[in-house]
Amino acid sequence: MVGMEHAWVLPALPFGAFVVLLLVGRYLPRRGDFLAVGAMVAAAVLFSLMLADLVQALGEEGFQGVASGIDWLKFDTFQVRLGFFFDNLAAVMLAVVTYVGSLIFIYSTGYMQGDPRYGWFFAAMSLFAASMMTLVLADNLLLLYGAWEAVGFCSYLLIGFWHERRSAAEAAKKAFITTRIGDVGFLIGIVLLWREAGTFDLREIFRLASAGGYSSEYLTLAVLMLFAGAVGKSAQFPLHVWLPDAMEGPTPVSALIHAATMVVAGVYLVARTMPLFEAADPVALQVVTAIGLATVMLSATVALVVRDVKRVIAYSTINSLGLMMVALGSRSVTAAMFYLFVHGFFKALLFLSAGNVLHATDRGTVDELGGLRAKMPLTALAFGVGTLAMAGLFPLSGFWAKDEILVAAREGQGVAVSVVLWVSVALTALYMARLYILTFLGKPRDPHAYEHAHEAPPAMLAPVLLLALGAVVTGFWAFDQVGEALALPGGVGKFVYLHEPHPFEISVGEAAGSSALVVACLLVAGLVWSGEARPAQLMAQRLHPLYQLLWNKYYIDDLYQWVVNRIVLATGAMVAWFDRVVVNDTGVDGSAGLAALWGWIMRQVQTGKMPNYALAIAGGAVVIGAVVLVTRM
Amino acid sequence: MIPIQHFLLLGALLFSLGVYGVLSRRNVVLILMSVELMLQGVNINLVAFAVYLSPQEFRGLIFALFVITVAAAEVGLALAIALRLFRNRATANVDEVDTLRW
Amino acid sequence: MSYEEGLFYLVAVVTGLGGLGVVLARNVVYAALFLIVALLGVAGLFLLLSAEFLALVQVLIYGAAVTILLLFVIMLTRVRDAPTTPVAPQQSLGLAVAASLFGLLATAILLTDWGALGATEEITLVPVRELGKVLFQRWSVPFEVASLVLLVALLGAIVLARPEEEE
Repeated sequence: MVGMEHAWVLPALPFGAFVVLLLVGRYLPRRGDFLAVGAMVAAAVLFSLMLADLVQALGEEGFQGVASGIDWLKFDTFQVRLGFFFDNLAAVMLAVVTYVGSLIFIYSTGYMQGDPRYGWFFAAMSLFAASMMTLVLADNLLLLYGAWEAVGFCSYLLIGFWHERRSAAEAAKKAFITTRIGDVGFLIGIVLLWREAGTFDLREIFRLASAGGYSSEYLTLAVLMLFAGAVGKSAQFPLHVWLPDAMEGPTPVSALIHAATMVVAGVYLVARTMPLFEAADPVALQVVTAIGLATVMLSATVALVVRDVKRVIAYSTINSLGLMMVALGSRSVTAAMFYLFVHGFFKALLFLSAGNVLHATDRGTVDELGGLRAKMPLTALAFGVGTLAMAGLFPLSGFWAKDEILVAAREGQGVAVSVVLWVSVALTALYMARLYILTFLGKPRDPHAYEHAHEAPPAMLAPVLLLALGAVVTGFWAFDQVGEALALPGGVGKFVYLHEPHPFEISVGEAAGSSALVVACLLVAGLVWSGEARPAQLMAQRLHPLYQLLWNKYYIDDLYQWVVNRIVLATGAMVAWFDRVVVNDTGVDGSAGLAALWGWIMRQVQTGKMPNYALAIAGGAVVIGAVVLVTRM
Repeated sequence: MIPIQHFLLLGALLFSLGVYGVLSRRNVVLILMSVELMLQGVNINLVAFAVYLSPQEFRGLIFALFVITVAAAEVGLALAIALRLFRNRATANVDEVDTLRW
Repeated sequence: MSYEEGLFYLVAVVTGLGGLGVVLARNVVYAALFLIVALLGVAGLFLLLSAEFLALVQVLIYGAAVTILLLFVIMLTRVRDAPTTPVAPQQSLGLAVAASLFGLLATAILLTDWGALGATEEITLVPVRELGKVLFQRWSVPFEVASLVLLVALLGAIVLARPEEEE
C-alpha cells in the first residue's frame, strides 16, 4: 500500500521517465512520450491515494504531516538530507502539479507533434515535473533550494526550446539571469537562518524562531532575503520582466511552468515559511504586500495595450501572482493557497486554449486574429470560461478565490490596499474581456489565418475542456459542505491555514460589490473594443503619452538594459582588461619573459672559449685561496 | 744553507708564470708549455717539502717522480689532441675553437 | 751569502728567465727553447736539493723526451704559423690573476713558521737505494698504475694522431 511515507515516489516517477527518455528515447516508438505521460498520470494516481491517506490521518490529534527521506551528507552543523514532508500545504500544491500537469502532458502530445526534438521536450518536461515535486515536498531549505534551481534550469531549457530563434534564446537567458538575481538573496537568507539554527530543517527553524532564537532584525533580514527569491521566481516587481518574454517557449511550457506551477513556487515558499514571517518584524509582511500591490497595478495596466495573445495571459499571470502575494502579506495562507489552486486550472486553461489558436492559425497577435469563434467554437467556449474565471465572475472558481483575497485584505490591511485590489479587479475584467473580444469576436483581421483556422484535435481539445470544467467547479471547494462531501475536514479554510482552521463565511459586501464591478467592466470592454474598436483607438490617440508609457512597459526593460550595458558590461570590460593586461601580459607572460631574459644574461658566460674558462677557474682559485689565507691567519 | 722559503718562492714564481702563460697565450702548443712550467713549480715545492720537512719519509720525492711520469704521458696525449684540432679546424688558435658556446 | 745561496740564485735566475721566455716569447720555437732552459734549470735545483735521482729523471724525461716531442710537433706541422699574441681583456685579467696568485702564495710562504714544522737548514741526502726500495715496495701499486697510464697515453696518442682513412 502506498502511503504518505512513500512521498519520494512522486518525484521519482517523472525523474525516471527523464532518465529513460534521455538515454534511449530516440529508439522508442513515438519517442517514448507515453513514458512521460504515463509517469505523470501514475504520479497523479499515487498522489490521490496519498491524499486519501492524509485525509484519514487528519482525524488524529496533533497530526502535522508525514516525514520521510534519507540523510545524504552529515558533518557537524552541516547536513544534507533528502527529506520529504507530506502535509496539507504540500498536498494542495501537488494536486495542481500532478492533475494539471498530467492534462498538459497529454495536450503536448498533440501540440508538439512533428517537432524534430519531440523526445527532448518530454524529457525536459519530466525533469521539470520531478524537480517541482521535490521542491514542494522538501523538508529542508537546502533541498528546496536545489529543487528551486533545478526548476529554474528546466525553465531555461524549455523557454529556449526552439533555440534556433534568437528571441527564444535571449528570453531563456533573461529568465535565468533575472531569477538568479533573486536566488542570490534566497541563498543568503538560507545561510542566515542556518547559521543560528545549525540545521536546514524547516520545522527546526520554525521552532527556533518561535522560541525567539533569532533576534528580530536578523530574522527580518533573513526572511526578506528569502522573499527576494520569491520575487524573482514569482515574477514580482522589479524582477517581473522575464515572464512576458518567457512566452517564446512552446505553449504547454507556458501553461505548466509559467502559470500553474513554477511561478507559484515563490508563493508556496512564502506560505511555507509564514511562521518565520510572522515571528519577524511586521515590516517584512508590509514589504511583501507593497511589492505585491506594485506588481498587481503594473501588470494590470500594461495588459491593456499588449497585442500578443500569450503575453496578455502572461501579464494576467503576473497580476494573479501579485494578488497572491498581497494575500500572504495579509497573513492569509488560506486565501493565497486557494487562489493558487484554482489559478492553476483556469490559467492553464487560458494558455492551452490560446495554444489551440496558435496551433491552428500559426498567428500570435490580435492584429492577425479575430472572429475565430465561428471556426473554433469549443476552444472559444473554453477560453471564454477561462476569461470569466480570471475576471472573477460568479459562480466561477476565480470569483470565490478572488473574494477570499479581498476579504483577507480588508481584514488584515488598511483601506489603501483594498482600494488598489478593487482597481485591479476592474482592470482585470477589462483586459481579459478585451483579449477575448479581439481574438474570437468581430471580423477576422487576417483572412489567410482565418481560412486555416480549425478546431483542435482531440488530444488538445480534451484537456482544454477538462480544465474548463475544473475552472468552473474548483471554486466550490470554498464551501465546507463540499469539502466534507469529499471526505476532507471541510472547505479550503479548514484544510490549509496558518494557525487555526476557519469555516467558510460568505462576505456579502465583497461578493456583491465585486460581481457588480466585474459585470460593469465586462460591458465597458464590450463597448470599447468590439467591432472596429474605435473608442479604444480614440483613447489611444488622445492619451498618447499614457499609451506610450504602457506600451513600453513603464520603460523598465529599457532601464535594465541600460544598467546592463553601462554598468555590468563596462565593469566586465574593466575586469577583462585587468585580466588581459595585468594578470596575463604582465604577470604570466612577464614573469616568463623575465626568466627568459635572465637566462639570456646568464648564458653569455658560455663563450665556448677555453681561455675564458681557464681565467674563471684561476680567478676562483685565487679567491678561495685568499679567503683561506685570511681566515687562517 | 738555503732556507726553504727560497725554494718555495721560486716554485710559486714558476707556477704563477705558468698560470699567466695559460691565460694569455693563444697558441695551443704554447699553452701546453705553460702547463709544463706550472708542473715544474709544483715539483720544486714537493721536493723541497720532502727534503726539508720529512727527510725520513720522502713522499715528496716519490710524488714528484710520479708527477713527472704522468706529465710526460699528458704531454704526449695533449699534443696528439692539438694535432687533431689543427687538422680538423686548420687553426691552433684557441680563441677560434668556440662551437660549444651557447 | 754562502756559496750555496749564491749557487741557488744563479740557478734560480736562469730558471726564472727561462720561464719568462716561455710565456713572453713571440716565436713558438723560441718559447720551446726557453722551456728547455727552464727545465734544465729545475734539474739544477733538484741537484741543489740533493735529489740526484730526480734531477736525472728530470733531464732525461723532460729535458730530452718532452722537449723533443714538442719540437717535433712544432716543426712538422704548421702550428708555428698560428698567432701567439694575447688578446686584450684576457691578457690584463690573466696578468692580474697570476700576479695575485703569486702574491697569495708568497704571503703564505713568508708567514708560515717553518721552524715549528721541523724545517732545518740541513738538507739530508736521500740515497737512491732507499728511494728504490720504497718505490718498489711501498709504492708498488702506484708504480704499476703509472705504467698503465703511460700505456694508455701511448695508445691514445696513436689513435688520435692517426691520419684520416681514405675510403
